[in-house]
Amino acid sequence: MTFPANRRHWARWIAAVLVIAALVHGLAVWALPRVIMRKVFAGVPATSEANRAHFPPMTTADSRGIVLPSPDILYATCVYDLANRPLRITANPGLDSYWSIALYSAASDNWYVVNDRQAGARPVDLIVVARGAMRSASAVSGDATVIESPSTKGLVLMRVLAGDYAKDPGKYEAARRTLACEPLQSAP
Amino acid sequence: MTAPARSANPTPCWKRWAFGTLAVLLGIVLGLGSAWWAVRGWGLAGPVQTGAWSTSTASGHVDADAYTRARVAVGGLLALSREETMYYVARSDDSGAPLRAECAYRIEGVPPPARWWSITAYAGDLFLFPNALGRYSLNGATAQLDTKGRFALTTAPTQPQGSDFWLPTPKAGPLVLTLRLYNPDPRIASAPASLAAPTITRAGACT
Repeated sequence: MTFPANRRHWARWIAAVLVIAALVHGLAVWALPRVIMRKVFAGVPATSEANRAHFPPMTTADSRGIVLPSPDILYATCVYDLANRPLRITANPGLDSYWSIALYSAASDNWYVVNDRQAGARPVDLIVVARGAMRSASAVSGDATVIESPSTKGLVLMRVLAGDYAKDPGKYEAARRTLACEPLQSAP
Repeated sequence: MTAPARSANPTPCWKRWAFGTLAVLLGIVLGLGSAWWAVRGWGLAGPVQTGAWSTSTASGHVDADAYTRARVAVGGLLALSREETMYYVARSDDSGAPLRAECAYRIEGVPPPARWWSITAYAGDLFLFPNALGRYSLNGATAQLDTKGRFALTTAPTQPQGSDFWLPTPKAGPLVLTLRLYNPDPRIASAPASLAAPTITRAGACT
């Protein structure tokens, strides 16, 4: 017993639609975080310049760039692009309350973080390299920690806990403005 | 011997092209629509539930599956991975009714085991509600504890009676609560459902 030709035709057509839908579905789910991160990198022109630290205002109801902004955290950002050379990240907040520096890949994964307790009394000194460039950077890194990014572009996000920011903004501003992101200058 | 019966008129070329194009377009619409349906609305919620609060162990993590990564990118971009920070989200109260900004809710609990914690109120679009007080969250530093070591806060459009900490909300729209634990106790990080989650109960009629 075989299906009449027109039912076979429809079955094939429906199968084709479902196969295409499944492929598009998978591609869309995979691509969505990467597309969203690209929008973050492009961002506001003032903050989209790569390999430079930026210091947005304290979080309020006007903060509508990234969802779920924490009103108790003062942020600093740096888009990084390792296409030409590694990036050096330095910071020395000097606070005894929570702060952290987190790195995100172009796929939005949080692939590295260091917080105040892990840093201890030492300033943060990181060299971020592209995949495969660990060895050459280690030769010029000195005391800095060399870390390898899973993607060429990414984002550095510093968080400084500042629940009482209004009472002492100077203290928290001074802390976050110790963040510097610069292309690595090779050793002489 | 005759050939098997076939349609006397084979499908014209233009019809095959039309069906093909329609199949591709329909496939694309179905694929994109189903992908969006699968990732939107989760925020930082996930499969782990404790009380009215939900969390994912994979937010921000390099090992996250594609769906978790996409959901976090849409509804909680730049979340830290669980070893550093945990995020619990509530969109309904303990009875399962969706949280509404025009209703008053009492949220009570013991301070979560973490170096620092906060409960923040967000609108349905996951941004902060503007309010004259400029007050958006209760945290470990601002929480007053009672004699039993418990905190309480009320979210409401108007200031409630009593001494609860008040988080102002507008008179309409969904309400999303986010509980953050920075540097959580490792026991919670490894078993997120074991958190003694704050209770969320409606306090009186909605305006």
